[in-house]
Amino acid sequence: MLRALVLLLALALGGCVLRGGPLPPGGPPGAPAGGPQGPAPGAAAPGTQAPAAPGEPGAPPRPRMGPAAMALLGQARSQASAGEFAAAGATLERALRIEPENPLLWAELGRLQLSQGNPAQAEGMGRKALAVASGDAEAQAAAWGVIADSLRARGRNAEAADAERRAAALAPR
Amino acid sequence: MLGLLGVLALAGAAYVLYLDLLVTRQFEGRRWTLPAQVYAAPLELYAGLQLPAPELAHELERLHYRRVTRLDRPGTYRTSGARIDVALRPVNFPDEKRDAQLLSILCDSNGIESLQDAAGREVPVLRLEPLLIGSIFPIHGEDRVVVTPREVPPLLPAALKAVEDRRFDSHRGVDPQAILRALWVDLRARQIEQGGSTLTQQLVRSYFLSSRQTLGRKLREAIMAIALDAHFTKDDLMNAYINEIFLGQDGDRAIHGFGLASQFYFGKPLAELDSAEVALLVAVVRGPSWYDPRRHADRALARRNLVLSELAEQHVLSAAEAAAAASKPLGVTPRPAGAYYPAYLDFVRRTLRRDYREQDLTEAGLTVYTSLEPRAQDAAEHSLEHELERLDHLKKRGAEPLEGAVVVTTPQSGDVTAIVGGRDVGYDGFDRALDAHRAMGSLVKPFIYLTALESGRYNAATIVQDEPVDVKLAGGKHWRPENFNHDTNGPVPVVRALAESLNLATVGVGLDLGVPKVAATLERFGLTPAPEQVPAMLLGAVNVTPLEAAQLYNGLANGGFHNPLRAVRTVIGADGKALKAFPLQVTQVATPQAMYQLDRLLVQVMNRGTGRPARPLLPADLVVAGKSGTSSEFRDSWFAGFSGSDLTVVWVGYDDDAPTGFTGSAGALPVWAHIMASLGGHAWNQPAPEGIVDMEIEYPSGLRALPGCADDRVTVAVPAAAQIPAKPGCGFPEAGNPVTTLISRSERWLHALVH
Repeated sequence: MLRALVLLLALALGGCVLRGGPLPPGGPPGAPAGGPQGPAPGAAAPGTQAPAAPGEPGAPPRPRMGPAAMALLGQARSQASAGEFAAAGATLERALRIEPENPLLWAELGRLQLSQGNPAQAEGMGRKALAVASGDAEAQAAAWGVIADSLRARGRNAEAADAERRAAALAPR
Repeated sequence: MLGLLGVLALAGAAYVLYLDLLVTRQFEGRRWTLPAQVYAAPLELYAGLQLPAPELAHELERLHYRRVTRLDRPGTYRTSGARIDVALRPVNFPDEKRDAQLLSILCDSNGIESLQDAAGREVPVLRLEPLLIGSIFPIHGEDRVVVTPREVPPLLPAALKAVEDRRFDSHRGVDPQAILRALWVDLRARQIEQGGSTLTQQLVRSYFLSSRQTLGRKLREAIMAIALDAHFTKDDLMNAYINEIFLGQDGDRAIHGFGLASQFYFGKPLAELDSAEVALLVAVVRGPSWYDPRRHADRALARRNLVLSELAEQHVLSAAEAAAAASKPLGVTPRPAGAYYPAYLDFVRRTLRRDYREQDLTEAGLTVYTSLEPRAQDAAEHSLEHELERLDHLKKRGAEPLEGAVVVTTPQSGDVTAIVGGRDVGYDGFDRALDAHRAMGSLVKPFIYLTALESGRYNAATIVQDEPVDVKLAGGKHWRPENFNHDTNGPVPVVRALAESLNLATVGVGLDLGVPKVAATLERFGLTPAPEQVPAMLLGAVNVTPLEAAQLYNGLANGGFHNPLRAVRTVIGADGKALKAFPLQVTQVATPQAMYQLDRLLVQVMNRGTGRPARPLLPADLVVAGKSGTSSEFRDSWFAGFSGSDLTVVWVGYDDDAPTGFTGSAGALPVWAHIMASLGGHAWNQPAPEGIVDMEIEYPSGLRALPGCADDRVTVAVPAAAQIPAKPGCGFPEAGNPVTTLISRSERWLHALVH
């Protein structure tokens, strides 16, 4: 039951990205959705900001993806649905070169690995998505979803269940 | 007697048949072999790309787009204010066929603001065609870019005939009239001076590499030329000649064919050459070294104009056209056009050899797309050349010049964007980036501290002892390492031990963790084979190539994710279908918490420690992290470090392993800083992972401190639960105080809640 719920959530999240959704236009270059990229020289070095509490209600919506990455994501999805997985992967890599810290793109690449039957690689992508999703509960949930499915695909059910619980806990209320 | 004659005739006929077979086979082979063509990464244009208009124009020029006032054909562009209009050439990507089209690029001070097609519609993203960076040819040193007859300007074959072989269309491979004339000249001079060779004979000579001119060889050449002429059409022979003939030398690299010669001398495709430029190439045919337009410009100019007047005389050009062309300068680029990167190609070749036979690479017409970024490659080459020159002036050792190597990567994708194999960047010889196995020295230290942070027993403020170390080795020997300045510093916090690269403190930590643990960390980050497990490994007695060092540091730059470095993205077959892809792979090899703490320590190396001399050379807002490395007796000077977008590894040293007198900070660091400054990347600025907080400590003591109670403070990242003693008098509650207990309790409770 729980698993079905998580899958539904993951699908809903995936769908949100797929449709492009009500996303504001892209953020400034070099400042993709992965996190603040502002200059932070000297001793007041990076990381001085407290990590945002996951799923914090009322957090201002952030631009999730610029139009270039969005266009490439759409292209990758049509390639994948035509069974051209390698081409879809190459297109997603183009998007990642533009927004290397966008967790949604990493999660998408993980999903693609899953559909190609590479769960171990999918887990790597999911973990990478998680690492760059700091402060973005939805993206974290999507990342945990990929990790859960990659574990499940290799029969690591206990770990998968744990990952699913994390995904569910992070999903927007 | 008759019998003898018969035998001789038979032998002669057999010899002719043999030559016929030999030359025909050679020609057929050449005609149908297509070397793999290797391309750089295409430049992706999109709104928001930080590429100001002048640099964008430079990138178009690199692809041989010509700046014009009216866009008349593909391969041209015009600028008006902040707007660049480009007539794009047609391009054939494996997943996208694009016709020639117009693109308008609107720029602001940062870079591209928007892209529009001819109808004014927004274009979200568009790839320029990739730069051809070379081809993989069978014979070492012989390079060429094969052109099809469609890519050849009609003036070229006409001019070749007019100047080299007037009766090419009518003779049968040899031209008796020309030979007699040449023979007459030769007899009078009593030595062989004049060729009188047809284009077909020259082609034969080029196939069999016989430069010595003896009568026997000339006879053999003539027989073969006749054979070729009998078997193949004039058009085929002309096309073979255009792709075959030797037209210049660049170090070890022989420039063959007009396709490559056009790139080599003018930096643009053969099809775009004007009459003067075609005439110069035709002039060079007669003696590529004697008429070298870069080294002997006067001679080359005189011969080019001779060619032009010959063309006018034979009505290939009008007198006015020839005169106009003769008034032009030579127009060659000052140095061979930049699109030749032997060290990078070397890596590409080795990657491909794992999956393809040599023959497939040199003959099967493959197209290879790589990750090379010409801008990064240029930055790496120029910085290395300039800095090594400067360092040569500083050092005391005799005249022998220093050597160096550079590898640049994009950490998140594992793309290798630039490789420099030595200071003579166009030299296709010893590739130090791939083949120089050198002691990594202090480059190993981050992996020791990462192991320490992962153990949970160390953090940035942990006090370690910088005291003499004595390790008993097998066989009764002792290992007694020393600090760089032969001094000891007593108790120091981890942040300082790493920033100042203290040997004794680090060895102490490494021995505490155990050599096998540290070796395992290096292995996780991609070091193969596993390093020898000896204590001296803790001070970098591990030989790595610059490329291997880049592989190790790529994991540090990529937040503890390992991805195999790759130069090749895709290989496309002659039929246009993808044969093989090298997709992105990532594996997490360190916890985000330990990795983040280590990266913050490496930021302090740049701010407080051995990386500090780089700061004035870098933009103030470019946060970077890195580590210097100096092997024993200054034999190797390393620097490896990264921003948020690029990782660069630099090695400086001598090929014979002689001491350089430079530390990593003095030798490799300035090269590194210049490269990082010209790459124009963005700051390293990762958000802290769960459970890690910032804390201010006193740099010398490692005690928790506040402004006003300690002058020399540094902000480090530590686990939220870490117990770090406060500097007395800093206004922190004393340990054991009920308030402290309450705070740490509520911290733990919050922590649990978040999980």
